[in-house]
Amino acid sequence: MEKIILRNVSRENSHRIEVYLKHGGYQAFRKVLKEMSPQDVIDEIKRSGLRGRGGAGFPTGLKWEFAAADFKEPKYFICNADEGEPCTFKDRLIIEKDPHAIIEGMLIGAYATGCSIGYIYLRGEYPIGKKILLQAIEETRNKGFLGKNILGSDFSFDIFIHSGAGAYICGEETALIESLEGKRGEPRIKPPFPVNAGFMWKPTVVNNVETLANIPVIIERGADWYSSIGSPDCPGPKLYSVSGKVKKPGVYELPMGTLLEEIIFEHAGGIKENRKLKAVFPGGASSSVLTSEEISVKMDFPSLAKAGTMLGSGAVMVLDETDCIVKAALRLSMFFRHESCGKCAPCREGTDWIVRILNRIEKGVGSEDDLETLLTVAEAMENSFCGLGMAAHNPVSSTVRKFKDEYLKHISLKRCPFKE
Amino acid sequence: MDNLNWLVKEIEKLKRNSPYPSARSLIMPALWIVEKHFPEILPEHMEVIAKILGVKPVEVEEIARFYAMFHTKKKGKYVVRVCTNLSCMLNGGESILQAICDHFGVKPGETTKDGLFTIEEAECMGLCNGAPAMTVNETRFTNLTPQKAIAVLEEFKRKENGKDNPQER
Repeated sequence: MEKIILRNVSRENSHRIEVYLKHGGYQAFRKVLKEMSPQDVIDEIKRSGLRGRGGAGFPTGLKWEFAAADFKEPKYFICNADEGEPCTFKDRLIIEKDPHAIIEGMLIGAYATGCSIGYIYLRGEYPIGKKILLQAIEETRNKGFLGKNILGSDFSFDIFIHSGAGAYICGEETALIESLEGKRGEPRIKPPFPVNAGFMWKPTVVNNVETLANIPVIIERGADWYSSIGSPDCPGPKLYSVSGKVKKPGVYELPMGTLLEEIIFEHAGGIKENRKLKAVFPGGASSSVLTSEEISVKMDFPSLAKAGTMLGSGAVMVLDETDCIVKAALRLSMFFRHESCGKCAPCREGTDWIVRILNRIEKGVGSEDDLETLLTVAEAMENSFCGLGMAAHNPVSSTVRKFKDEYLKHISLKRCPFKE
Repeated sequence: MDNLNWLVKEIEKLKRNSPYPSARSLIMPALWIVEKHFPEILPEHMEVIAKILGVKPVEVEEIARFYAMFHTKKKGKYVVRVCTNLSCMLNGGESILQAICDHFGVKPGETTKDGLFTIEEAECMGLCNGAPAMTVNETRFTNLTPQKAIAVLEEFKRKENGKDNPQER
């Protein structure tokens, strides 16, 4: 398939503006500025059917329309580059290899919504990406695409980078905004939504890196062309980060709705050492597990929701027959315990409780009652303040249900069956 | 004291060039300056930041303590982050952490006696296509084995010792 999101990444010096310009870069932005009204841009993005690639899958055009409709000034445009979902590394690829696609996407979005200031909230773990983005922003300013009265128009916009410092919760947009305001990354209650009351309580658009990289192409080639790719109700190309026990881990660009089976066995080369596939977390650490019998599922938002799990960030984590499912659930739960911001009790206490129970099961000192307790705790965590807590139990509750025998084996053997 | 004066100048510069509508947004960038140039973020650093930005010291401290990458305990010259999250774990990340800790006689979170390395168990750093992975300050190392990881760190150590020893220059 033709590469769309990854159209530039394999070129030499793809991160430099000269290379980007040479291959049609900033043409979409020029077109928008000269030929399209903000409403035209919003209509085009709405018609394309683009849904946010950060995990929630909210329609991008609609988000822009809400922000554009608000009258408060100034408005802010934020790129969420806090890619923190474990085993997701697609945004890093765009940041390092095609930073100008992000900047152009932000420019088009800011023009459509009337934003004058942009921030890229970049996770602290990406210092190399920071250097590349800083250089890209500088190059863009020098070419006159950023700053006051861009290309002689009335449109003014500038972009700044804000470095995170190791907090998964800051990927949640309201926690990100709190962090950008210089506070602890704790989520806010919604509504109001950021499009009306975000950064400094002003209208704020928050879009993911991959989402933004789609924007210039949609403008360039049109909504009709774009919406013909992938699933009809969830169109476009999608980046899947595939890792774990596959022969060829990496980022794969495929039409939204490609079968999970195809992603693992055709694109990622199948399972290491030709072992048997055991389980897959199809959408990052907070997604529910799928067994090897459940992988002929389309990888898009609605299909995975129907299968009882989620697309999330599109991070496909693959386990083989030699991997212990309890250990995997334990490690992911330790992550959530570490990353829970502590604001609400269901998440703060729930993640800790789950880790303690899984720890004893993995060590061979768990009881059958523990499984029931795990599911009860999981249910209580559904009442968490934000999505982190609501989803944090997914790898546990889903594995307890689908791999109950393996949990029971730990309990009856009084040890982990995968350890000598 | 000289160092503190330097910090004052840096934070003042940061404030002059602020891209934010509120000075409070500068707390994280200010703490990053301390994190990069000092072994630890001390109360006096936080006071400098608070004073110049016009915020309460506690507003600086809560940030320094909330975010995992800020060190309020003394760190080594190199922070070694070994990922043990799922994809790295499945590919042996834990044995790498264990091997490094055994080799240098420290536990995760501790600093080697010579002050060179702080070994940390890290969450996912987005290097999963090269699992298992670790970073040494800002340099990435992927597809590691315990032996390779130790060799990487020994190489850092050799270079550092070379610097201190004029005969090897």
